Amino acid sequence: MRSSANQKNAEAVSPYLPARGTVEKTVAVTEKERFFSIALETPMDHTPGQFVMVGLPGYGEAPISISSPPSDEPRIELCVRAAGNLTRALHRLNPGDTVWIRGPFGKGFPAREMEGKDIIFIAGGIGLAPMRSLIKTVIGRKKAFGSLTLLYGVKSPEELLFKDELGIWRENGMDVEITVDRPHPSWKGNVGVVTTLIGAREVDETKTVAVIVGPPVMYKYVILSLGNKKLKGTDIYLSLERRMRCGLGKCGHCQIQSVYACQEGPVFRLSDIRHLKEAI
Amino acid sequence: MDFISKKDFRSLVEGLIKEYTLYGPIKKDGSPAFGRIDGFGQLKLSSTPSHISAKGFLFPPKETLLRFDIEKGSAEGVVTAEDQAIIGLNSCDVHAINLLDRVFAYGTPDANYLARRKKTLIIGTECLPDEYCFCDSIGTMTVEEGFDVFLHKLRGGFIARTGSKRGRSLIKKYASARKATKEEIAGLKGLAEKKKKLFKTTLDAEASSLPLIYAGADLSPVWDRIGAICYGCGSCNNVCPTCYCFDVKDDVTMDLKKAERVRVWDACTLEDFAKVSGGYNFRKTRADQLRHRFNRKFRYLADRFKGLFCVGCGRCSRTCLVRINIAEVTNEIVRESKKR
Repeated sequence: MRSSANQKNAEAVSPYLPARGTVEKTVAVTEKERFFSIALETPMDHTPGQFVMVGLPGYGEAPISISSPPSDEPRIELCVRAAGNLTRALHRLNPGDTVWIRGPFGKGFPAREMEGKDIIFIAGGIGLAPMRSLIKTVIGRKKAFGSLTLLYGVKSPEELLFKDELGIWRENGMDVEITVDRPHPSWKGNVGVVTTLIGAREVDETKTVAVIVGPPVMYKYVILSLGNKKLKGTDIYLSLERRMRCGLGKCGHCQIQSVYACQEGPVFRLSDIRHLKEAI
Repeated sequence: MDFISKKDFRSLVEGLIKEYTLYGPIKKDGSPAFGRIDGFGQLKLSSTPSHISAKGFLFPPKETLLRFDIEKGSAEGVVTAEDQAIIGLNSCDVHAINLLDRVFAYGTPDANYLARRKKTLIIGTECLPDEYCFCDSIGTMTVEEGFDVFLHKLRGGFIARTGSKRGRSLIKKYASARKATKEEIAGLKGLAEKKKKLFKTTLDAEASSLPLIYAGADLSPVWDRIGAICYGCGSCNNVCPTCYCFDVKDDVTMDLKKAERVRVWDACTLEDFAKVSGGYNFRKTRADQLRHRFNRKFRYLADRFKGLFCVGCGRCSRTCLVRINIAEVTNEIVRESKKR
């Protein structure tokens, strides 16, 4: 009766088994960030704002938001900042190399619910990476939406992501405003944190939604500024960054009180989380 | 309910050793602990909870999830399970396993845990409270499901309750059991009543009211006070029968040709548990970390998994180096809630 140790159970499928991805293209976009186009064996059925667990053997896995819009092509795009061992190893990959992908995970932005509304996208730093998936989705069906605005803050001009695309988005009618935290000799545009771009704007609170993605410190101040514009918590969407190890609502790392960022998030309506201590 | 004699109990244990890998209470460094049982003499049924819970037999401290062949560029999932039996689990431990069952079946099922659980036989045994136990206040002093057999010690042997087909056939196969008499069943009830009077630790609120009481305690001064003395060692998480948080990381062979993705126990009371790669820590202080742990036991998971995640075993209090006592902390929060 006793079965051997380490016997394989053929019926049980490990939820930790990733799918193979192949790097098609990798471009350094800033000193710290690299853009990847990754070919998959089957299309990724994702919504903007969802994330994947990206892994390399020996380096582990990390949650990375998908930068590309939903598509029937078997391909995703990621923008990865070199911050730890895994992400540094990802930066060393070349076209043709294998990268292991699990996902998509979590809840993304409900683009359908934003139809007919003016949208203000507010991005800080690498927050533009997950936001790009939604921006491209919205621009792809721009007639369904009201006016589109992107307020984008970075520390310095060298940290701007997707520079070429910012121009394309402008050509598509999006009002793109950029600010850098500190003055820089090469920079002629706005200086100051991203909230300075909100202050002067006219916002019709009856038909506007705001989408915020940025570093943890940014949210509090942006939310205050939007509050001054009378925007309701139900009309503000944000994506929360958390440590994640499984993506399956089990490892416990991404827990915010009773909520798992990997299950109910990472995209939340402000009204659903503003009462949670530690959320923002 | 059946009565089995001491002699039949021995033949049951020996049958388990033959058929399964058997784990049960042994004495380790003078304390009750769970370990491998190869002979009847090793089994030391303890009346009080083991120092460390038995969760590791279902959710090992370290287990392989994936194997990579780096040279070939291949990956395979690893799900391992063997027939095993755990004897000597107390009522609180069985409740804890019932909770873990829900956690790992939730959403995307965790094949690793569930495969192991399926192949595990649970034999519970009756216990007596020590000064840290407070299961009676939580409602986990008795258990009705989640075991294959549950044994209650009685003069000359045990009353056996069976909770599954596997349990019933086990008793049939190894013990020449007879039906328990009315007197014996009545005696069992009497014992439970007597046991209730033995608790030195009790909670000052109904268990069902604890999620709400904890919800009002985010700003309680108790968190700073216990945060100031906590070492952040994670022992409370390790000994807890319902703590299931884990880290996932890779081990590589010396020749760099193969790698394994493993999961290891993690603890929300450790410094970096909620820290993201950019360096921001969502629970920076020991007070934040302890508030999180206590709330996870009494509030955060209650809705999702329909139950408190504290089973009243007292293990965290028993093991804490600075004597943070989960029942005392809870009672302090209960007292504060009455003032509000």
